[in-house]
Amino acid sequence: MAHLYIIESSCMVFQQMLCYADWNNITANYAYGDLITGFDSGYYGGSVMCSHYLEETPITRLLIAFIMALFLLGCASKPPADNPDAPAAWAEENDPLEPFNRSMYQLDQGLDTVLVRPLVITYRVIPKPARRAISNVIRNARSPITLANDILQGEGTRAGITVARLIINSTLGIAGMFDVASEFGLPYHYEDFGQTLAAWGVNEGPFLYAPILGPLSGRDVVGLTVDSLTFDPTAWYGWADNPRWHQAVYFGVMVIDTRGNNWDALEELRKSSIDYYATLRSAYRQTRDKEIRNGAPQPIEDLPIFEENEDPFSSIKPAPPVTVTTAINE
Amino acid sequence: MIYIATKNRPLILLLIILILSLGCRPSAASEDWSRDPKAFVQHFADIGISQILESDNPKTEKTEQFRQLFVEAFDIPAIGRFVLGRYWRQTKEDQRTLFLGFFEDMIVYTWSRRFGQYDGQTLRLETNVPDGKNGALVTSSIIDKAGETFTISWRLRQRYQSLKIVDVIIEGVSMAITYRQEYSSVIRRENGIDGLIDELSSQVTRLKETAAATN
Repeated sequence: MAHLYIIESSCMVFQQMLCYADWNNITANYAYGDLITGFDSGYYGGSVMCSHYLEETPITRLLIAFIMALFLLGCASKPPADNPDAPAAWAEENDPLEPFNRSMYQLDQGLDTVLVRPLVITYRVIPKPARRAISNVIRNARSPITLANDILQGEGTRAGITVARLIINSTLGIAGMFDVASEFGLPYHYEDFGQTLAAWGVNEGPFLYAPILGPLSGRDVVGLTVDSLTFDPTAWYGWADNPRWHQAVYFGVMVIDTRGNNWDALEELRKSSIDYYATLRSAYRQTRDKEIRNGAPQPIEDLPIFEENEDPFSSIKPAPPVTVTTAINE
Repeated sequence: MIYIATKNRPLILLLIILILSLGCRPSAASEDWSRDPKAFVQHFADIGISQILESDNPKTEKTEQFRQLFVEAFDIPAIGRFVLGRYWRQTKEDQRTLFLGFFEDMIVYTWSRRFGQYDGQTLRLETNVPDGKNGALVTSSIIDKAGETFTISWRLRQRYQSLKIVDVIIEGVSMAITYRQEYSSVIRRENGIDGLIDELSSQVTRLKETAAATN
């Protein structure tokens, strides 16, 4: 419960602080100017990034806007007290900021409907092999992130695979357009700093839902920020005084590519659920757990068990008594 | 001895025929699949692919075939209890029956919408590890025509007559856990199981309509 207290108290502190800040100006700049396009609209005062080598990227801009909204609006909810079994279920979902997250989810779904989905549909004019090539280029371009985190997690073999893939796909695969390395028996894998933090034993933190970026956890916000400022080649590109809209365009293509690749899966999930937000939350957290375990199956001990020492999937009816058929005697 | 043998010759002959026929009958083979986790998954996957997905039967018939398969292969009450989790104890018998009925319908109609999407995918069994006190976790790959694979694991439990599936884990996402967390959210929002049952029932109606509309 400690983190709840911290969130609640920091909510109050920040609301006090922001009374003195030119908040409308900040949000306006971030929301409509800096946020996506990266065009310099003059505001840098509240930025946590000051070094030349830690330039903001579209991802960190989104995250800063999101965290500001979180401190302004997102105060923790308490577990419901009317149902004796609700607090345990509430704890299992790990979503103390649910009201805030749900409003961010609404915003995200709105943006998805009016912006992202139409863009994905337009993007699909490009033939599938070309789209596949673009996906591969993006995967290849972000492989330094995977490599750095392979190393930070002490995964020597996987780091070797990442290096080999980067070299093979950048050359034989023509700038990463073709995943030749997979055919050589070097399968793709994905690592990020959020997973590294998990491997180091850092707690998941509360569940979060950010517009455009989608479901996250407190740990993933830190992970995304670190990756996006340090290991991400698009950040390096920004350090070299290149126009910022290059990064913004790349980020846009990345969002559309990711959304396009998940199109069918998300569509199925949406149609088969009665609470899509809760379904996304559960599916995201399970997917992250699987990535952290590097694909190993979830151990049975990790399953939520509601009676002590009982199999969570035990039969609800005792087995009927065994009746021996004595055909031969008859 | 000889006396007994000659006296009971017809009976012994019958016994031998019986034993021999038991050894060759297909039902003896079906005993294997009901106890061996990998064979169990293969058995139901084969039926699902050859008799439902690849058949030319009308959709309504396929849906009913799928329901039979689902009821036979899955331990729906055990899944239902896991899905309701802590709330299971609070539910009355008639609520449980209602919930399990709609839950079954929901899954049947959710999957029946996807029959048309089948395009020659095959199932390859990978590993089989012990799971829980009397169960197994079978991991398999689904391979499509383009050679792309994704992983599905099947959580099985030994029941009285046969193994039963209690969870399907698609690329690390457990269906049972996902429904459990979704429904606990709905129960909290609707202030009880009756609200969940209502929402499930209208979802089933919706799914039925779209299933009838597509194909």
